[in-house]
Amino acid sequence: MNEKGANIDLLFRNGLKDYEVLPPAGVWEGIHPVIKIKSKPVILLRVAAAITVLVSVSLLTFKWSRDISNLPSADMMAFNIPESSPLISVPVNNYQYLPVRKSDQVKNTPHVIIEKDISVPQEIESISTPEQVTYVKETKSLSIENGETNTGTFLTPSISTGVNQTKIKYSDLYFTDNTTTKPKNRWSIAAMASPTYLSSFNSGSDGLSKELTASEQSLISYSGGVAFSYKISKRFIIQSGLYYSSLGQKVDGINSFSGFQPYGTITKGDHNFEVLTTNGTVYTNNPDVFLSANGADRIVTAYTNDVFDPKKASLQPVSTSLDQNFKYLEFPVVLKYKLIDKTIGINLIGGLSYNLLVSNSVSTTVDGNKYSIGKTQGLNPLTLSSSLGMGMEYNLSGKLSLNLEPTFRYYLNPFSVSTGSFIHPYSFGIFSGVSYKF
Amino acid sequence: MSEIKKILKGCLAGDRRDQELLYRRHAAKLYAVCLQYSGNDEEARDILQEGFIKIFANLDNYKHEGSFEGWMRRITVNTALEKFRSRHNLYRVDDIDTIQEQDSEPENQDYAGLEANDLLGIIRELPTKYRMVFNLYAIEGYSHKEISKMVNISEGTSKSNLSRARVILQRRVGSYTGIKKKVANE
Repeated sequence: MNEKGANIDLLFRNGLKDYEVLPPAGVWEGIHPVIKIKSKPVILLRVAAAITVLVSVSLLTFKWSRDISNLPSADMMAFNIPESSPLISVPVNNYQYLPVRKSDQVKNTPHVIIEKDISVPQEIESISTPEQVTYVKETKSLSIENGETNTGTFLTPSISTGVNQTKIKYSDLYFTDNTTTKPKNRWSIAAMASPTYLSSFNSGSDGLSKELTASEQSLISYSGGVAFSYKISKRFIIQSGLYYSSLGQKVDGINSFSGFQPYGTITKGDHNFEVLTTNGTVYTNNPDVFLSANGADRIVTAYTNDVFDPKKASLQPVSTSLDQNFKYLEFPVVLKYKLIDKTIGINLIGGLSYNLLVSNSVSTTVDGNKYSIGKTQGLNPLTLSSSLGMGMEYNLSGKLSLNLEPTFRYYLNPFSVSTGSFIHPYSFGIFSGVSYKF
Repeated sequence: MSEIKKILKGCLAGDRRDQELLYRRHAAKLYAVCLQYSGNDEEARDILQEGFIKIFANLDNYKHEGSFEGWMRRITVNTALEKFRSRHNLYRVDDIDTIQEQDSEPENQDYAGLEANDLLGIIRELPTKYRMVFNLYAIEGYSHKEISKMVNISEGTSKSNLSRARVILQRRVGSYTGIKKKVANE
C-alpha cells in the first residue's frame, strides 16, 4: 500500500506542480485598495525624500543666481548719475521744479489710502495611463512512465523541477507581457498656486547700481492660476493656461512722511518725488507724501534737504521703506518631460511665458496697513520669461493627482525699459495644486 | 538587478503597476493552489485575495532566500489553512492501527491521459479533512508531525486521513482513467 500510496502522491504532486488556472475577474480590484493603504508609509517617505531633493536643488539654483549678481562688470549702470551734477540741476524729463513753500503751519494728519490685500488663485497638471497586462495559460498532459516512487521528504514542489523520472510536457512560459499603453486621459486641467520670491541681479558695476540692488529685498508674493495640459506622447506633455501673479520688492532706505500736502505744489507733471529702483522709477501720486533717502542720489525732487526739512515742518514719519508691487497676467507655454512615470512621477519642466502687466503700485506699510505712494513708471507692458523646474506628481487615483513644482523663472527682458538690459529679474516659486485628467 | 527584484522594489515603494504586475504574473499559479485546498470556487477566490493581501503586507519580510514563488505559495497555503481551521474540525482518529484500508486499487494502474485539470477535479472531490492532509503531505511535502501542528490534529489523525485520502483518490483515478479510455476507444 505504501508504494501505491506514494504512487498516487507522485501522480498528484507532479501533475499539479505547475498547474495554473486563471483567477476570476475582479480579484485584483479587491486586493489593490487594501495594499494601497498598507504601502502608505513608504509612499510618504518617498514623497518626503523627493521634496527634500527638489527643495535642495532649487535653493542651490537660487544661490547660484545670487552669486552671479555679485560678479564685477565693466558695463555702465542705467541710473549712473554723475556726482558733479546736482540732482536739482539735472531734471528728468525736463520737469520744472519749484522751490519749497515756507510755512509755520504744520498739518500732522496723515492723508493716506489703504489698499486691499491680494487674493490667490490656483493651477494644474496631467497623468499616465495604466498598463494592461495579459498572460497566456497553457494546459498540459502528463503520464507516468515507470512506477518508481520518491518516498522521501518532499520540498515545496513549486520550487524544484522534475527530480524523478516523470515526464511532464509543460511549458514554463505562462506569462506574456503584452504591455500596451492606450492613449487615454490625454487632457488634464490643473489649479496651482505658489508663493513667489522675486529678486534680480545687475550687470552694472557703478556704485549707485550696487547700492540700489543692496537696498532692495524680495517681498513674498503669490502666483496662481489654471493650466491645461495635453499629453503629446508617453513622456512629453505640453501645457498652457492663465496665471495671475503678484510680484514685489521692498526698497529700504526711503523715509516717507505724511502731511506734506500743504507744502507741496505739484508742478512736475503729477508728482513731487521720483525714486530710482532697479525695476524702474517710482513717481509719487500721493500729494501728502514727502520722501527722503538716507544716502545716494536715488530720489529726484525739488524738495531736497537743503530747501525743505520735514522735521522742522513737523511732518509725520510713516515708514523707512517702500513696497513695489507688479501684477501680471501670465500666458505660459510649457513642455514637460516625464523622468519617472509611476505613482509618484517626476517631471522636468521648461518653457516660456508672456507676462502682461495689469497693474502696479508702490506703497508703504505701517502697522499692517498699506499707504499708497505712487506707481512705477516706464514698465514694460509685456515681458517674456523663461522657466525651468522639476515637477513631482502623486497620483491619488487614475484621474486625480497632487502636484508640486519648484520653478525658477528668469525674465528675458527687464520689467522697466528705463533700466535697460543691466537688470536681470528672476523669481522662484514652489507651485502646488491638484490636477484632473479627462 | 533581476526583473523580480525590480518588481519587488516597486511593490515595496507602493508602485501600483508593479503590484499589479506581480499579481498578474503569479495569480494563475496561486489560484490553482487555492482551488486545490478549497471545496468551491468562491472559497478559492477568497483565499487568493486574502493570500495576496498578506503577500503584499509581508513583502518586506521576504529575505530573497529561496524561491519567491515558493514563499508566496507557503503564504497562500497558510491562508487556506486558516480558513479551513475557522470552518472545519477534523475528526480525530485515535488508533490508526484499527484503520482497515480497502485495498481496491486496480493493479498496474495506467494513469496516462490524465490531465492536470482532471487531477484537480478529483482532489477537490475529497472530503475537506482528507483533502487538507493529502495536499500538505503529498503536494507540499510536510511531515505528519508538521501537519498535526498546522491543522491542529494528532499525528495519528494526519496519517489516518492521508491513508483514507489515498484510497479514495486511487479509486477515483482508476475509474476516471477507465472512463477516459472507454471514451477514447469509442
